[in-house]
Amino acid sequence: MAAITLKNVTKTWGHVSAVSDINLDVPDGEFLVLLGPSGCGKSTLLRMLAGLETVSNGEIHLDDRRVDGLPPSARDMAFVFQSYALYPHMTVRRNITFPLIMRRHRWWFHIPIVGHLAKRAIERSPEVKDLVDRTAKVLALTEMLDRHPRTLSGGQRQRVALGRAMVRQPEVFLMDEPLSNLDAKLRTSMRAEITKLHREVGGTFVYVTHDQVEAMTMGTMIALMRKGVVQQFGRPRDIYTNPANTYVARFIGTPPMNLIKARIEEGQLKVGEAAFALPAHLSGISDEGRAEVLLGLRPESLTISPVGGAGTLAGEVGLVEHIGAESLVSVKLAHAETAHEEEEQEQSGVMATTPGYSELKVGDRIAVGVNLSDAVFFSTRTGERLTAKVPQLETVR
Amino acid sequence: MRSTFNWGHGLRLLAIVSLLAAAAFPIYWMLVTSLTPSADLFADTPHMLPDFSRIEVFEEVFREIPVATWLANSAIVATGTMVLSIALAILPAYTLSRFRFRGKGALGFTLFVTQMLPEAMLVVPLYAIFGQLALLDTLTGLILANTAFTVPVITWILKGAIDGVPIDVEEAARIDGCSRIDIVLSVVIPLVAPTLAAAGVIAFFHGWNEYVFAQTLVSSQSLQTASVGLAGFVGELSTPVHSVMAVGLIYTLPAVALYLVAQRYVVAGMTAGSVKG
Repeated sequence: MAAITLKNVTKTWGHVSAVSDINLDVPDGEFLVLLGPSGCGKSTLLRMLAGLETVSNGEIHLDDRRVDGLPPSARDMAFVFQSYALYPHMTVRRNITFPLIMRRHRWWFHIPIVGHLAKRAIERSPEVKDLVDRTAKVLALTEMLDRHPRTLSGGQRQRVALGRAMVRQPEVFLMDEPLSNLDAKLRTSMRAEITKLHREVGGTFVYVTHDQVEAMTMGTMIALMRKGVVQQFGRPRDIYTNPANTYVARFIGTPPMNLIKARIEEGQLKVGEAAFALPAHLSGISDEGRAEVLLGLRPESLTISPVGGAGTLAGEVGLVEHIGAESLVSVKLAHAETAHEEEEQEQSGVMATTPGYSELKVGDRIAVGVNLSDAVFFSTRTGERLTAKVPQLETVR
Repeated sequence: MRSTFNWGHGLRLLAIVSLLAAAAFPIYWMLVTSLTPSADLFADTPHMLPDFSRIEVFEEVFREIPVATWLANSAIVATGTMVLSIALAILPAYTLSRFRFRGKGALGFTLFVTQMLPEAMLVVPLYAIFGQLALLDTLTGLILANTAFTVPVITWILKGAIDGVPIDVEEAARIDGCSRIDIVLSVVIPLVAPTLAAAGVIAFFHGWNEYVFAQTLVSSQSLQTASVGLAGFVGELSTPVHSVMAVGLIYTLPAVALYLVAQRYVVAGMTAGSVKG
């Protein structure tokens, strides 16, 4: 196991910057998820960690050892590819054993017959065989050890790829969207398996995904990236409750956080025509003296009732989605505007969740109740969070 | 009862049989001719079936003509060309496929250009160079001359195959501790084995069939290859047609046998299961 430290890590391709000035401290044994949309630089960062890409600038440390100048095999990191990248001409057993064979590799292993015998001797040596058999048992691959990858299903192939990584007993596991080629059901079960693997095998995991559900369920830490820059780095819960900016607020959560244009006037929060008393954690916060802020509210902080009253926002139901245990209701607010930049104007209502099967219909006039206890403020100019509620990482550990 | 005869299937079968017959007929005709007495060769009604009572003609050509030496020389030249061509082509093919460097396009084009020069044009300069290097009248010289012709085309064939090897598999090998040369030998070569077999067949046939260099660069009788020996049969006054056909048939069979062995390895789908398709 090892702690990973990235210092000012940058990757440029000509004049294009893929990863800019990344600084991360990942303590030993953590499960870090690099999260972000396609093209945000998360895979490039992972490949730089692995040594598959050179670092244009900055340093990568594994504990006290600087590794960014070392070849991939000298870094003691295993890599699981999105495409599995198994050796198709080798059996499952040889695929899993291959890293161990390469550890004892000599030039004469390339001589036909002699090399074949030498490799087979390593494969059959008690310590290697035991390790491979135990790994196969953990991954339920024992029955498939003598088969070739082409005869396996996607999930089985991915388990072989995991086995090839595990058998090396590396300090760090690197995984590049390993579940994105699997169907939804298999993805859920493999998600649980990888989490279990992290718990049982130990080691520091770095996992790349664009799926925020994977990030929230698997990661003990998340680094959310956009355009090569880390937007926020922290515990999943902190990122969910206290997003660093409007981008993080809208990326994390399904449905994402609602951003409503509001004003702070005379110690009150005004949203459209409605006025609310400022809760303690928001009092005294403003955007450098400006009255306008963006109010961030998770869908579960909004309640829907048929009759309005003080402390509610009037609106009209735009869409109702039933997802079983709860219903998602999109509401077009009558007197307030949202700031959901990435969406079309007609869809810019707020989203609220209501328990059970909602009987609301599109066009119903309703009132939206607001619970400000978990609300956050963002600057209308920069999109940065204005509250200072986030506990420091050291304090949560 | 309704007929279960599938017309589409039947027509396809007919087309395949016709093509096979057209390809195999010359070989069959060589067999028939070799077993026909010289007097009957120009008869009005040709023999359509081989007369196996004259099978001793094959024994005869081996006894009277140095066919075994010719075949051995051809086999040495063809095998040498095959082994050397593949050994010399694999690394340039990998380089052209995987690395980016200045002049890569020009290098690839130049390799193609070498294919446009006819052997007959190069034979004089080659003769001069080989004379300086004491390679004239040696099988080694012949192997080198043939290899020079096959390496460019095999490089291109192998480059195409290496392009198809997923880069992820190579990167996985790098993570697992392979050097570049380990990757080429342990991962890339096994994955392009079918193409390697096809390229080997091409190089072998080039060496086996080659005539111009074999005629010009080698003069000793004992080093003659079968292509030259066979051509030597055509006399000014007479040509023993049945002997030519018998030797021709013997000359064809090893090449056919090699092809039958190699074609088992020329199978598609070696990389299946490596990466998500």
